Amino acid sequence: MALFPLISNFQNDFVLQLLPVDTENTMDEVAAAAAYHSVGRRVAAQPGKVVRVRRQGASDFIPRDKRLGETDIKPMECIEFIFADS
Amino acid sequence: MALLERSEWYDIARATNWTPKYVTDSELFPDDMTGAKGVPMEKWEVYDEPYKTSYPEYVRIQREKDAGAYSVKAALERSQMFEDADPGWLSILKAHYGAIALGEYAAMSAEARMVRFGRAPGMRNMATFGMLDENRHAQLQLYFPHEHCKKDRQFDWAHKAYHSNEWGAIAARHTFDDLFMARSATDIAVMLTFAFETGFTNMQFLGLAADAAEAGDYTFSSLISSIQTDESRHAQIGGPALQVLISNGRKEEAQKLVDIAIARAWRIFGVLTGPAMDYYTPLTHRKQSFKEFMQEWIVGQFERSLIDLGLDLPWYWDQMVNEFDYQHHAYHLGVWFWRPTVWWNPAAGMTPDCRDWLEEKYPGWNDTFGKCWDVIIENLLAGKPELTVPETLPVVCNMSQLPICAVPGKGWNVKDHPLDYKGRTYHFNSEIDRWIFQQDPVRYRDHMTLVDRFLAGQIQPMNLMGALQYMSLAPGEIGDDAHKYAWVEQYRNNPYQRKAA
Repeated sequence: MALFPLISNFQNDFVLQLLPVDTENTMDEVAAAAAYHSVGRRVAAQPGKVVRVRRQGASDFIPRDKRLGETDIKPMECIEFIFADS
Repeated sequence: MALLERSEWYDIARATNWTPKYVTDSELFPDDMTGAKGVPMEKWEVYDEPYKTSYPEYVRIQREKDAGAYSVKAALERSQMFEDADPGWLSILKAHYGAIALGEYAAMSAEARMVRFGRAPGMRNMATFGMLDENRHAQLQLYFPHEHCKKDRQFDWAHKAYHSNEWGAIAARHTFDDLFMARSATDIAVMLTFAFETGFTNMQFLGLAADAAEAGDYTFSSLISSIQTDESRHAQIGGPALQVLISNGRKEEAQKLVDIAIARAWRIFGVLTGPAMDYYTPLTHRKQSFKEFMQEWIVGQFERSLIDLGLDLPWYWDQMVNEFDYQHHAYHLGVWFWRPTVWWNPAAGMTPDCRDWLEEKYPGWNDTFGKCWDVIIENLLAGKPELTVPETLPVVCNMSQLPICAVPGKGWNVKDHPLDYKGRTYHFNSEIDRWIFQQDPVRYRDHMTLVDRFLAGQIQPMNLMGALQYMSLAPGEIGDDAHKYAWVEQYRNNPYQRKAA
């Protein structure tokens, strides 16, 4: 376990935010942490959708159950959080 | 005794270049301090300042200006301006004084550098008056808000802001250190007087003077007009310096200075003037949108000044003009959402009528920024104000020190512009900010943004309270909605309906 700062770029939000997460977090948990600071604050919820995670510039999402520590994402890398069907 | 006309003696009196005997020329005028870029002394002697004045003339006119500004203040001290003004207007005053007053002292130091190290006698002469101007501006803009301190502690930030680590103050210091505190005399002439003052301060001061009169604040209007007349004089130091540089084969160096300065000035005015014009100024008092103002002053007039001097438009010109559509809206939303971290009370500027105006001036506003405000309004109506304040930090740009932000909602285009440099990753708001860093990485590399300081453990405890303490924001100074959320009631049982086109 280790504290791991990321940059959250949440779809439809207007600003990049500091996102403190943990290397043990799965992508779903990282997405939930990011949503906490955007959805219901400045971004409308999208019921029925899930929030998926991808690196800035990538088109593919990272598997939902993959842990942060298992990726090669770097601290303070800008991560995009996107509403998706599944 | 009859006195000669100024024109009969001016050129001789200010021919003050000389050949040193006891030290070398390069010891007396080191290139690092003059910024002459190898252009020899005699080439600078053709420098011809367009505005000429003598010390007696200067003193007489300045005395009249001071008498005018102070007498308007004295006459209106018993007026009810503070009590009667719209809270949005008071917020403009607080933001302006905090961001500008001590910056004027910094500008005075910069002018002093031109007085000592300017290679052209005319530049040294003009800068002597410019230095006195900036001292006057600092004193005026500290003295005028002081009368309000006893009623409202946020006015104390006219003096306090630059002595704090408040994020806006960090952004202003970083910009002004770069443009004129840590620059040579010639670079100051180009970056401060030409790019910043000719290009942008004219805009802030002319626009604000008109807005103040419209808002019924005649004290501020006369103060700002008084300052503006000085600015329009000493801003002319830069033009002839650019002519000397260009005619001596230094166009490339001059162009780079201009490009950096315009980009940096645009960010500061985007966060300061943009929200003031499009959100804080009551709707009935708005004459022009910020975008219209920028197009008139920057595209319409400043662009011509650049071309007339033989310079090119900065490489990023089209991108900057494109940003007129959105960047200040994003800054405003950020300042309002992180409102506990500023020394003024941001006015949301978000009544249904305001939204109609924004849609008219910025087609598509409701589908982009309006989407974020919809959620904020919903939370306020539902009695959930805790969801309208932040629980984390925005990531700020390693150049502007302002949040990295852009268009939300349907036009979502927010993006980091990172750069790896010697083992550290820097984050920028745009290619423009990153380009500035790349021009001189050694100059910028060691600065830590507020987020860098937070991650380094310099801000304790690591929460909003710790951040507010770090920023020296005391109770009674912390920002909140200017109108105490009264505007939200217009939406109760009455969801926003767009005006038919």
